[in-house]
Amino acid sequence: MFSRELTVSELERLEAVATAAVGALQMDEDTFRAFYDRTARQVWAYLARITGDRTLADDLLQESYYRFLRAERAFDNETHRRNYLFRIATNLAHDRHRRAKVSVSVPLPEENAPGALTDSTDLAADTERRTDLARAMATLKPREREMLWLAYAQGSSHEEIADTLGLKKNSIKILLFRARRRLATAMGVRS
Amino acid sequence: MTSPNHEMIECPRESDVLDALASARWPDRVDTELAQHVASCGICQDVIAVASAMQADHEAAWRDANVPSSGQMWWRAEMRARQDAIREASRPVTVAQAVAVGLALSLAGVAGWFAWPTVQGLFAAVFPSAASQQTSLLASPIFLPVAVALLAMIVVAPVALYFVISEKS
Repeated sequence: MFSRELTVSELERLEAVATAAVGALQMDEDTFRAFYDRTARQVWAYLARITGDRTLADDLLQESYYRFLRAERAFDNETHRRNYLFRIATNLAHDRHRRAKVSVSVPLPEENAPGALTDSTDLAADTERRTDLARAMATLKPREREMLWLAYAQGSSHEEIADTLGLKKNSIKILLFRARRRLATAMGVRS
Repeated sequence: MTSPNHEMIECPRESDVLDALASARWPDRVDTELAQHVASCGICQDVIAVASAMQADHEAAWRDANVPSSGQMWWRAEMRARQDAIREASRPVTVAQAVAVGLALSLAGVAGWFAWPTVQGLFAAVFPSAASQQTSLLASPIFLPVAVALLAMIVVAPVALYFVISEKS
């Protein structure tokens, strides 16, 4: 009903707006590509494990980097930048979890890459271990999964975990202790 | 460190255990003293169980990850930033159009109000017999407001529908 021909000056104005939007992105192309190549697999693994859903992890990965690029923030260093990226990813996963109101499913581990594990016994044992961990992780709260993954899969410090999850640094020790104990119990390691 | 109910929540050897795991020295290439400590420390046993499982899973997830290339990701982000910026910049134009339509409708209503006696006079001059039969209906004080409201409904309803649909899409 309101569709109408745009004038040349309007088109030029919109083109200028679009170009300015690209110019206002957090990084230029080369810097972004280098940063993405350093972090993308880690972010994907994190999202896949805290949501338990590979397809959702694919979507959230794209959304995380897009929001990161559009963030109007200055970063002191690479660590701060990475923590902020993980914080965006965490918040997106939380939003999705709240909207879906579903518990985390247990993702079946995919087949290993050819040549990764040559022995069939190794392959079976590896798949079983990962399935057990996925089941145990699914019994935890989202915050516990995130904390444990950051601490033990990625080796983040307490300060980095606090920064990523928006928690107080002092509370990390006790929260991590509880989460670790719950996971160990769910894995059948402790009674 | 202990929790408020005096339960140990941290072991001073935790970092040594994590170092041994990260450098693949656990369990075969660690010193006997650390191995003996782990055997007697519940916290370190939990750390070993959880951290080793998660590190193995992390490696597997790294192998499984099938992420888009950085060039693809940049291109998508760039396109989306452009589209979002254009959408945001186009919004004031849409609002201005809606305001213009509203003003035009109001002006038409006011003009109709003032022109109504003239229209009535013309109608009576052209169709004297029909005018005498319909005088009672047309002369009714509520006729004009109802007619204007109906006309406005006919014009405004599609406009409102358009906005609802465009907002949803």
